[in-house]
Amino acid sequence: MGETAKKQSFAIFINKIKTYFMKPQNVILLLFGILLTFTTVAPIVAIVEDTLKIHPGTIDQHLTGRSSGYSVANYTDLFTSRLAKTNLWIPVWNTVLLAVFTCLISILFGGVFAFLVTRTNLKFKKYLSSIFIFPYIMPQWTLAVVWQNLFNSNVVTGTANGLLVSLFGIAMPKWWCQGLFPSAIVLGLHYAPFAYIMIGGIFRNMDANLEEAATILDTPKWKIMSRVTLPMVKPAILSTILLVFGSAMGSYPVPHYLGLTTLSTKYVSMNSKYTGEASILAIIMMIFGILILGINQASLKSRKSYTTVTGKSGQISKINLGKIGKYVIGILFIFITFFTSIFPILSFAIETFLPNPGDYSFLYTGDLSHLTTKWWMTRGNQTGALYGQQGILFNGMIWKALKGTLLVAVACALIAGTIGTLIGYAVSKNRRNKWANYVNNVAFLPYLMPSLAVGAAFFILFSNERINLFNTYALLIIAGTVKYIPFASRSALNSMLQLSGEIEEAAIIQGLPWFKRMFRIIVPIQKSSIISGFMLPFMTCLRELSLFLLLCTQGFILSTTLDYFDEMGLYAFSSAINLILIVLILVFNTLVNKLTGASLDEGIGGN
Amino acid sequence: MKKKALSLLLAGCIVVGSLVGCGGGGQQTAADSSGTTQAAAPADDTSDAGGEKEEAAPVVDEANLTEVQKIIKEAEGMSMEELAKKAIEESNGQTFYGVGNSSRGKAALPLFIEYLQTIDPSYTMEFEWQQPKNNKIFEQLSADSLKDQGTFAMTLIQDGNQIESKMVQTGILDTYIPKEWAQANGTTPDAVTGYLPLQTLNKVFEYNCTGSKEYKNCWDFVAEGTHALFMDIDSEVVGKNFLYMLTEDRYAAWLKEAFEALDAESQAKFQPVIDEMDSEAADLGLGADGKYALAWIKLWVESYNAQTDDGPICNTLVTDSATDQAGLLVYSKLRSVEESATVSVNNVKVAAYQDDYKGIGGYGYCHYLFLTDNSPLPWTACAFIAYMTCTEDGFSAWGKDMGGYSSNPDVAAATEATYGHSKGGCDEEGNVVYDCKNDRGYDWWTTDGQLVLEDPEYCASVSFTVGSWIELLTKYSDAAEE
Repeated sequence: MGETAKKQSFAIFINKIKTYFMKPQNVILLLFGILLTFTTVAPIVAIVEDTLKIHPGTIDQHLTGRSSGYSVANYTDLFTSRLAKTNLWIPVWNTVLLAVFTCLISILFGGVFAFLVTRTNLKFKKYLSSIFIFPYIMPQWTLAVVWQNLFNSNVVTGTANGLLVSLFGIAMPKWWCQGLFPSAIVLGLHYAPFAYIMIGGIFRNMDANLEEAATILDTPKWKIMSRVTLPMVKPAILSTILLVFGSAMGSYPVPHYLGLTTLSTKYVSMNSKYTGEASILAIIMMIFGILILGINQASLKSRKSYTTVTGKSGQISKINLGKIGKYVIGILFIFITFFTSIFPILSFAIETFLPNPGDYSFLYTGDLSHLTTKWWMTRGNQTGALYGQQGILFNGMIWKALKGTLLVAVACALIAGTIGTLIGYAVSKNRRNKWANYVNNVAFLPYLMPSLAVGAAFFILFSNERINLFNTYALLIIAGTVKYIPFASRSALNSMLQLSGEIEEAAIIQGLPWFKRMFRIIVPIQKSSIISGFMLPFMTCLRELSLFLLLCTQGFILSTTLDYFDEMGLYAFSSAINLILIVLILVFNTLVNKLTGASLDEGIGGN
Repeated sequence: MKKKALSLLLAGCIVVGSLVGCGGGGQQTAADSSGTTQAAAPADDTSDAGGEKEEAAPVVDEANLTEVQKIIKEAEGMSMEELAKKAIEESNGQTFYGVGNSSRGKAALPLFIEYLQTIDPSYTMEFEWQQPKNNKIFEQLSADSLKDQGTFAMTLIQDGNQIESKMVQTGILDTYIPKEWAQANGTTPDAVTGYLPLQTLNKVFEYNCTGSKEYKNCWDFVAEGTHALFMDIDSEVVGKNFLYMLTEDRYAAWLKEAFEALDAESQAKFQPVIDEMDSEAADLGLGADGKYALAWIKLWVESYNAQTDDGPICNTLVTDSATDQAGLLVYSKLRSVEESATVSVNNVKVAAYQDDYKGIGGYGYCHYLFLTDNSPLPWTACAFIAYMTCTEDGFSAWGKDMGGYSSNPDVAAATEATYGHSKGGCDEEGNVVYDCKNDRGYDWWTTDGQLVLEDPEYCASVSFTVGSWIELLTKYSDAAEE
């Protein structure tokens, strides 16, 4: 009897397992749950180990008197030494301030712009909507370099005069030129398109009935805004904070160029002599990422979703800005976006024709003979005219880096896009399942961790006697994929949640296999979101620096090459790379738009 | 799940915190030199061309030599041509990977291949030269050293301090001394106990001369209100080595002499800082003039305007709007400046070239050559190193520009004869057009020019004494954040 019961319960167990694995979403969740646990947890473990390891020639060897083994000397020294304020607390404080101000600026700028584009009768919407996302397309520190070229002055920054002081004699104060203010502005402008896309999506789709009801009840406009409109866009604002806070925290190049000490810049500067302590800084950055995820989960607990695009509304009411107002505000934004989007591109183009980096002689003298094509055309470097470099057209390093960048971006986009989409699909099918939630969160976690810290962790993980992947495309693709899966998983999850289960159930009843259901029904319906899940990793990869900074040398991919030339002061080369990147992204974006109808601003403006 | 993960992390931190009391240990500075077969580090005398020293040959236990070290020992007895034949045998049809702080290794390799082809016309070799920026070269070499057979055959590397503590004491890099190079320096490979320098580079004090301000003493660069442009010492660590070296007796004495040459009014401004440094110098175990060095370092760190590279510093100084600005930068950067309406090399003066200038003129540091201890092509690496250090063609990638001085006196003389850097600022008729581009050469710089020379061993020895003291100073760039 007992034997039979045992057999029966075993058979039931086997059946349960079979049934479980019959569902493709369960297989996806199990496989990627295990894989992502490794790819997310293993780098964290590696970097934690590094904080305890003794590194020859660094402070821990000096403090312990040993050149190998483990010690907590790095923790003791970082938290308790006389350098704690310089090496830890000031960078932490600056990092938090930078992240908070970046969020504020991006949400205010992007949010107001989204409101104007979607909810008012603003003019020039289509143009403004396209041009507004340019700062996000460009590598973030290029705006920092433009800022320097504009506002630096001999009197204040102790350098050569920038354009503003050269042309108008206006020297801006130091807080404007260097430190927290310009860093937050530059990063805020860079991430404002993020806020625009997210908040704009809600504004565009939200039902205006609630606002109209409030208006009928004679509610003051400010009250409608604070009690009705803003609460409706709260999820989008939270999502923006979620995405921007971690990214701003982990930004290395902007604070580096604009002279702000953050955890990222401190990590790089401490890495040679305080290697283990630098790893502790990376862990602190990661803890911030985990905290943000926790806070976000708590705030959205009731929603159990990160949805930023809601259901279709019956109607959208447009606020009338007035006959003149709609033009004035439109022109004002054309003016602002000229400086955030057009001017940098123009300055990059001009820079490649200047005789010396930053030498705008032609502008001051009106003599065009001061322009040169040497940065493009020079072949051979015998004359030393280009600091030992070949002209851009013949510079093997730049073209090799371009190929490398395309390889990494395409591979990351395909792998991260596919994995993310599958995870999004599988999670949407098992919304209340704990394992699904775990997979969803573990896939999202790397995005919240600052890029530099993730890069550092991957560097440590893959630099050992068994696996040594430093300076290989494989390492860049692994790191990029793990970091950018959230783009696709979030995008896919949000869109899949909008999709009624009945559609797929009907196909199941018809006996259609899973592949056909996916490729004939689900993907075509949600192609726009799915494609953006592939496009975002691709675009981000093209200009990513902080993540790849520690994983390869310059000349390997375009962003590290660009940074190399910027650091060296060879702005003609870095500007040319910038132009190449911008053109590439625009071409791909247009191509995808034409082929699929999906685009970055997803038709928020004007369409 | 997140809560659990967070709890685990916090728990980890608490455990770590509780273990803090167990950490630390003795304040021993001597490193564990296991695996090190490197010859003894340079002695105090730093007046030679970059760090190589002649001392009694160290006793080497040949039984403990690694495979690469055995090859090096054999190679040190070979002529250039014999080595070239070994290289051809080893690397024909293969790929050679090198890594260096200078990008010009990439330009030297094709010339090396051409040289080998003069011996065997059928010889071919692919190559890849990587140039990591900042400090990444040490991480890259450390990571590569973990493999049984590395990727990189050799390296061209700067920063004697980190080379000593991270690369040589750990046995990651091995020195090879070419026979001809030793002969040119009047010695033998066995007798050389330091590293092999390819060249010495100099960073020199320059200032914009479009205004009336003049810098006649090295103390003027740290005077109140002056913010000389300099690469941040945390991003280019050789800059920190410069500061370490100033505390060495010889250079501290130079600073004292320069201080004494100041007028009474200027002296009075610096005297309180010098007095303040007296006890600090004693605590750090510095010599009699250490307080002058510490005072200069303190004033420098608290005043220099940090830049990302020497390139932007040069770009700034040569513009006519950078009136009265000064900087300490790689001399050779002047080579690529193009004259325009607002930019001119003549907007700049090299401080040490001015007749009435007193004190240190700049800082000299070396590019050293090493084989990796797991080099996949050790014979080829030895031959390439010999080619760069013993032939004019091999050094031409660097020699064609001013401000880089070959460690081989024969090569240095041939380079000067070919490129005439001492007249680099003259036109075809011999008239001086750009005075600051007339490179006065290594001998002048290390004597009259008072170039402070890097000594890896000294730097490593004070890295955590003087070095830690420097880190406590508030950098000018950080002052606003506090």
